[in-house]
Amino acid sequence: MPHLNAGYNLARWLARDAHDAEDVVQDACIRALKYIGSLNRADARAWFLTIVRHAFYDWCERNRPAEIARDDGSAIEAAVDHAAVDPEQAALRRAESKVLADAIAELPLAFREVLILREMEELSYKEIARIADIPIGTVMSRLARARALLQGSTRLRAIGERASGGVR
Amino acid sequence: MNCNEAETLLARYGDGELDGVKRRLIERHLRGCAQCAARHADMLALRARLRSEAPYFAAPPGLRERVRAAVASTPASASGVTRPSGDRWRWLGGGAFAGCAATVLAFVVGTTVVDWRENRDLAVEAVALHVRATLDRQQIQVASSDSHTVKPWLSARLDYSPPVLDLAAEGFPLLGGRLDTLDKRPVAALVYRYRNHTIDVFVRPESADAPPLRTLRGFNVAHARSPGWDWLAVSDVSSEVLTAFVERLAREAPAP
Repeated sequence: MPHLNAGYNLARWLARDAHDAEDVVQDACIRALKYIGSLNRADARAWFLTIVRHAFYDWCERNRPAEIARDDGSAIEAAVDHAAVDPEQAALRRAESKVLADAIAELPLAFREVLILREMEELSYKEIARIADIPIGTVMSRLARARALLQGSTRLRAIGERASGGVR
Repeated sequence: MNCNEAETLLARYGDGELDGVKRRLIERHLRGCAQCAARHADMLALRARLRSEAPYFAAPPGLRERVRAAVASTPASASGVTRPSGDRWRWLGGGAFAGCAATVLAFVVGTTVVDWRENRDLAVEAVALHVRATLDRQQIQVASSDSHTVKPWLSARLDYSPPVLDLAAEGFPLLGGRLDTLDKRPVAALVYRYRNHTIDVFVRPESADAPPLRTLRGFNVAHARSPGWDWLAVSDVSSEVLTAFVERLAREAPAP
């Protein structure tokens, strides 16, 4: 059941909530029915992810309008600060994978979506550009920011250093 | 190439987006520049952590049924809205929409039916086998991550003894195997997992056919050859991953 999983994973990372993600995916499937004429048969996964993304943004506008407004890029630095919780405490409190998942979840929406599409769905810049409806150059700059934010996250770095046994 | 030039290309290199010329240039630079090599290693390390630690959320079991029900109960008007030439199609009635819904379910939920009678080649047939096996939940007849269990099971049912390798350390754990029929002949199908995707690998004694890498309705097919063996991998993982995987298998397999 490949594409439903991909769709759910994207929706789940965008919505950051299991129940909301299900609603988004269900809506996306209904939309898929409408847009079936636009399906390029070679590329069903990217096609479906595009629809899931649209369904998410529409859902978000209805249910969490603040999130989209907040996520115009001005939230970038806030995201960094947010991640800068006391590393010791954070490491003790959570499993390491939870820390990474939280850091991803804290990325601004625009960065989070390109990161998920690239690293989890392993889509090309071109495919991501088409899905997110942005130029390829923007895909690259957002990816770079997403990675820089994750790498710069104090919590993650603390754990990474602990895991590798010292400061690099 | 200097560090400034390398820096602009590093991400694209790591994402597999560079052509051969630039790739070779940056590889040469990375061999000679510890600083850029470290940055590249950082990116690979982050990717490894993302792929091993961050969860890939598979659709919950109930969602598939929920989607099926929602799509089935969506009134025809939902489709009609986007068809300006509506009247012309009205005579098709529910049947057409039912067909539409079936197509959506096929692509989204995975009940893809590949009609390979029209385009009968090995890649198409392999995709059909993969899809049928995943749908029937018959993908694995002998479930074991131990190649020493899977190999004799298959050998006992075939006129050859397929190489069965475990690449769990590389992130491709062996799930098991099954007997299938490819190109009218019994074939060993090995089932691997990569993250939450399954990969079917059909391995059979060397033959002349060599389907090129191709995509069929969202599935990738990769082919490789090793002395004495012919490898065909089918999955919905990306073509780069699938190709690297099947080439790895072919490289490591002992000759018959």
